[in-house]
Amino acid sequence: MALYWPSEGMLFIADVHLGKDASFQSAGIPVPLGPTSETLARLAELLHVVQPRRVVMLGDLWHAKEGRTDDLVSEFIAWREVHGEVEIILVEGNHDLKSGPLPEAARVIEVKEPHIVGPFALCHHPEACPDGYVLGGHIHPGVVLEGRGRQAVKLPCFWFGKQVAVLPAFGSFTGCGRVSPCEGDQVLIVCEGNVSPARIGG
Amino acid sequence: MVDRLAGWFATRGWTPFDFQLEVWRAYLAGENGMIHSATGTGKTLAAWMGPLGEWLLENPGTDGKKGHRNDAPGLRVLWITPLRALAADTELSLRLPLEELGVPWTVETRTGDTSQSLRKKQSERLPTTLITTPESFTLMLTRDDAEELFGELRCIVVDEWHELLSTKRGVQTELALARVRRLRPGVKTWGVSATLGNLEDASQTLQGVGAQARIVEGHIAKEIVIDSILPTNITRFPWSGHFGTSMIPPVIRSIEDGGTCLIFTNTRSQAEIWHQSILDNRPDWVDQIGLHHGSLDREVRDRVEADLKEGRLRAVVTTSSLDLGVDFSPVDRVLQLGTPKGVARLLQRAGRSGHRPGAASRVTCVPMHAFELVDIAAARTAAMNGRIENREHLSKPLDVLAQHVVSIAAGSGFRYEAMRDEVRTTVAYRDLTDEEWDWVLDFVVRGGDALRAYPEYRRVVVEDGVYRVTDKDIAKRHRMSIGTIMSDMAMTVQYVTGGRLGTVEESFLARLKPGDRFLFAGKALQFVRISDSTAWVKRAPNLKGAIPRWAGGRLPLSTELAHAIRQELECAKYGELRSSEMELMAPILAVQANWSAIPAEDEFLIEQLETNEGHHLFFYPFEGRLVHEGLAALFAYRISRIQPITFSMACNDYGFELLAPEEAPLAQAIQQGLISPENLIHDIPASLNAAEMAKRQFREIARIAGLVFQGYPGMHKTLKQVQATSGLFYDVFARYDPKNMLLQQADREVLEKQLEKSRLASALARLEGSTILITNPESPTPMAFPILVDRLRDTVTSENITQRIQKLSLKLEKEAG
Repeated sequence: MALYWPSEGMLFIADVHLGKDASFQSAGIPVPLGPTSETLARLAELLHVVQPRRVVMLGDLWHAKEGRTDDLVSEFIAWREVHGEVEIILVEGNHDLKSGPLPEAARVIEVKEPHIVGPFALCHHPEACPDGYVLGGHIHPGVVLEGRGRQAVKLPCFWFGKQVAVLPAFGSFTGCGRVSPCEGDQVLIVCEGNVSPARIGG
Repeated sequence: MVDRLAGWFATRGWTPFDFQLEVWRAYLAGENGMIHSATGTGKTLAAWMGPLGEWLLENPGTDGKKGHRNDAPGLRVLWITPLRALAADTELSLRLPLEELGVPWTVETRTGDTSQSLRKKQSERLPTTLITTPESFTLMLTRDDAEELFGELRCIVVDEWHELLSTKRGVQTELALARVRRLRPGVKTWGVSATLGNLEDASQTLQGVGAQARIVEGHIAKEIVIDSILPTNITRFPWSGHFGTSMIPPVIRSIEDGGTCLIFTNTRSQAEIWHQSILDNRPDWVDQIGLHHGSLDREVRDRVEADLKEGRLRAVVTTSSLDLGVDFSPVDRVLQLGTPKGVARLLQRAGRSGHRPGAASRVTCVPMHAFELVDIAAARTAAMNGRIENREHLSKPLDVLAQHVVSIAAGSGFRYEAMRDEVRTTVAYRDLTDEEWDWVLDFVVRGGDALRAYPEYRRVVVEDGVYRVTDKDIAKRHRMSIGTIMSDMAMTVQYVTGGRLGTVEESFLARLKPGDRFLFAGKALQFVRISDSTAWVKRAPNLKGAIPRWAGGRLPLSTELAHAIRQELECAKYGELRSSEMELMAPILAVQANWSAIPAEDEFLIEQLETNEGHHLFFYPFEGRLVHEGLAALFAYRISRIQPITFSMACNDYGFELLAPEEAPLAQAIQQGLISPENLIHDIPASLNAAEMAKRQFREIARIAGLVFQGYPGMHKTLKQVQATSGLFYDVFARYDPKNMLLQQADREVLEKQLEKSRLASALARLEGSTILITNPESPTPMAFPILVDRLRDTVTSENITQRIQKLSLKLEKEAG
């Protein structure tokens, strides 16, 4: 569920939404805790396997201020320490704006969109930018695959358009919004931990 | 006193019916009761005059002055009506006798539509009579002065109880009534119900456990005629599709015959389409044909109702939204488009026509496709034999209880034992176990099982043994959510220039692109954009290229009607065509017999067919849609245990289809117990899980229990952060809190829908004992066709998802510009 740029050792991840479970709880909606811890565990595994030099979060790292409980923040800092030498940059998304700045101990560099690195414009909102090919998130893209027997399955995906690429949402407990890619776009399906190109059909 | 009331009737030139006199006498003697009566037959005045008489007895020598808001007596009568739309009409009827009898009472309504200014006045002082919906009634209980509010209450009238009875809103009403009876013992409850199979049960459910009530038989038409408009030449109307549009000329002729005509359809989309079709044919009728359904804005509906009452309309095309109505003038003609779905409903609709005592009630059925002819013939037979549906009450839905408990906590608060005992006085929760009560309280206080899972959660808190909601925002959001048992996930549709049209399913609107056209509220509209939880539109010049909306409406055929249909088919199989509808069906039945077979009552027909789409299996149990959903999931699950396969399923009231890309091992499955009632304890839950039916059912539960909520205008943006779909909640619960009782309730509700009185098990037992008839038609048969074209499909699979998507592909849009 992430994008890696080997020559730069840069890993791109979108829409992690930490603390979404806790923020629902504090609003009186009973969601069990678990998704945030699971998301952090998956992030830890990803960093361990890929060993990037830098990680860029394409927005919405934390879901809301109410979800930044002491327990969850400690878990987050603990996760951060394991990969202390990796630089983490956060491109500000709509949820980050409302959650407020991160604690110092997190050592996350917060930048605004677009953040230009080489040919890429790193953003949260997937809108075209004259300064580079956009890598963004925000919409939690998914596509519906169809087939014989009237079957249809919706899965999260990477959507590479001509000027903009949209990454799938990384966080557990995030929804998936259906997108409609056009001819000429590239779509990669995420399914059971594998990423593969979507078969294109009529 | 009764004579005095009768005397007032006389001054208006009316004579009270015997049943009205009986009700007034019983009421004044202190009894509770149920009035069994059809719409438009004096039920309102039957229920109303008793309380008026009571007041007159207690206050002799009034000077007949008109009641004013601030001087009138405090709340004495609460009138509960299921639809806001009815409240205004009821208000008019209730006001009528007040001045003339010299009763200085005020009458007001309180629903979601009530203006802010009136609400404010009502929060300070209630009128003598308040007409309200179950939701608004429950909201009154969230006030901390609820006890004082009901201090003078004498009577609660619950109108159209048969409609509320088998629903969650009915349970909500039961709970609210239990509370009021605690606060005000001695209050009398009178219900009004149309014809039901089980009126005694209905009455007991309204009154609560152990309470006594009298059933008064009102004015029910003696003779009911069910006839039909038949297509003149059936061979010109292919059964492969609807012949709906060819039925337009005869429908128009019925309207031309004169008088006012009520035209009932089964879905809102059909109402829109028919309204449009009639006007396309007769543009000169443009202001004379009304359209009425639940998604239309209140103002739009009010106009139609007013026009109907004043005889300005030739016809109104409507859904069940006009099934309930006050005693407004009866119409001259009633048409039912499409299958009647149930006998009781058809009889009720027939009862809307011609109310002169002794006159027959009549409904004319108009079939929309060939097989509905069988439905009509069967419905007539069932009606003649008195086989009318029961309305079963729901059994302890915990989501409704959770919502109610939070309402009381937001008001005066409650204590553990007293509240539990109060809840157990309702029929719905009479068997509530302590464990279930504990779980509900745990849910609202701690968010569910295990402190470890919900540390941030708080909704209700316990202070000194009293359960309360202390957080104002949470209380406010709870009040907004109380209406959710009723609402669909729908979005408001509004002209960019301002006027509101009504609401449309969000899922439909979300798919539209700017410029897309669609039909709604009888108008051709063009989609502009969505913003602020509203879909903005403007008038379109025509409906060219319009996007069709789903025919939603999943009301199933009742068991009684399904059974009657099987019998009609058997008669047809042996050449006995007992009605003109069935005679007309002869050529189609011949096709069915030649290509496949017509099942006798003790035969279970299965058709195997291959098309471009894949391999189809059609099964015909004739048990109604709901049972078929369960059977389809069960069969799909059982077959998929034999080899990895993915089925998509579709159902209608006659049967169901399993469709797969490859051929399914049917013979082997039958041999291994496909149709056997054994192992159901394991197989049913497994199959319902496999078909994700509980997840769908969970949608409603999530709304009611307050997990998901719709936005409202002016809602604070931060609230958007805590919106999520019920599907997402379901997945999260399933993974991190699988013992959650709401999940179990979802499972149970799915089971109860399919298994009402073990209906699924007994259906299966009957099928197992039937002769299995397998045919291999070359093309879809007349019976298969309606199922084939059904768009709503569930999936059951025993394939791994990675395997599945090997065979699926993505369709790309054409490049823009």
